[in-house]
Amino acid sequence: MSHVDPEQLAGLALDPDDAPADVREHAETCPECAGLVAAFTGVRRRAGEDALVAPPPGLRAKVLEEARAGGAAPTAPAADVGTTRRRGVPLWLAGVAAGLALLAGIGLGRLGADGGDTPEAVQPPTDDSTVVATTALTALDSDAERGEASAVQSDDTFTIRVSASELGDEPGVHEVWLINVDGKRMISIGLLASGDEGEFAVPVDLIDEGYRIVDISVEPDDGDPTHSGVSLARGELT
Amino acid sequence: MTIIPFPARAARLYGGPVVTEATAFRDEQDDSVHTLAARLVAGEETALEEVYDRWSPLVHTYALRALRDPHEAEDVTQQVFVAAWRSRHTLTPGPAALPAWLVGIARHKVADARAARAREAGRLAAVVALPGATDNAVELPDEEVAERLVVRQAVEELPDPRRTIMFLAFWEEHSHAEIAEKVGLPLGTVKSHVRRGLMKLHQQLEGVRHESR
Repeated sequence: MSHVDPEQLAGLALDPDDAPADVREHAETCPECAGLVAAFTGVRRRAGEDALVAPPPGLRAKVLEEARAGGAAPTAPAADVGTTRRRGVPLWLAGVAAGLALLAGIGLGRLGADGGDTPEAVQPPTDDSTVVATTALTALDSDAERGEASAVQSDDTFTIRVSASELGDEPGVHEVWLINVDGKRMISIGLLASGDEGEFAVPVDLIDEGYRIVDISVEPDDGDPTHSGVSLARGELT
Repeated sequence: MTIIPFPARAARLYGGPVVTEATAFRDEQDDSVHTLAARLVAGEETALEEVYDRWSPLVHTYALRALRDPHEAEDVTQQVFVAAWRSRHTLTPGPAALPAWLVGIARHKVADARAARAREAGRLAAVVALPGATDNAVELPDEEVAERLVVRQAVEELPDPRRTIMFLAFWEEHSHAEIAEKVGLPLGTVKSHVRRGLMKLHQQLEGVRHESR
């Protein structure tokens, strides 16, 4: 399937009469493109707001003063940036690590409660490893649950643990990717070789650079090493 | 446990043409926001100043519209940026991360201000019978207000001539032909500016929606 260039769809949203017939026809039959046209129309409708009102000039100094005074975060280890970095834990992970034990607990609990068949989820970290980020995996075309993924820090290694479920029986192998949050870059980190579980060591730099979206694709045996374009599950590590 | 905001279009991220599309969506503006966010996370005070200078009108206007009280709006604005500084480690740098994150914090602070107001009203009501303390009937929902303000902010930040063209097209509702005449650019160029401008606004809005879910 080939889609219409978004710029053409923007044109269609702005003035249907001005759009080429093939663009119009495609958008009529393609839900994805129609969705984008609708989104563009929604944005257009939200234009027209009056100019923003700046706060009174004196407020800036007050904000900066209060920020300087209370510098460090009261609850989180943010002041400890230097140490955090030396341990090699990326800042964004360090920031959320504290709350994650709790969050992960809740997440699993919920999964068990409404799923019934709890997948063999993330193993509890061993003594010297810490789960620093997790995500639920879901289908792309619905919110259907597809398991979980987590990022585990252990000494100097960094591991992505995947515990997928209900990936379907489409023929092919299941490949695990990290997609950058910039939407431009992606990298394969391995295959789910046995069942739906896998552990993949990755350089921590990748995570730092924004490769945080875990994606599982089904890859036909066609000799093409790139992503097939068929994603079965996805989630962003947070 | 976040779900990516573009599930329906996700497949388009792959392969040649898709990468081109994502690239077209990015520009220097995005990179500068990304860098600014990273500096804030690292604890640079000058980054806080820049963040304040760039987004305090957005936050303040939102608070003003949501609370309809200049003093409270000022307080909330202050709270938002102080809170942003103190919880900067929770920010994940990204092209739309900053406004999205700030709007998210502002929503919480507005809710706090409303709760305080309600408590106050409760105390007063015990003494004096007050007529309906809130009249939200004709107001837009907060979320809609936030989105409209984000669109306004995003247009303000476009480089000229795109900015001017967008204002002429969307605010003054001129036709593309009229705009072409006004700004002295070919019609095709004007159309392209409006389309790309719309795509950029969409991108900003998506960022905010994603962040504030």
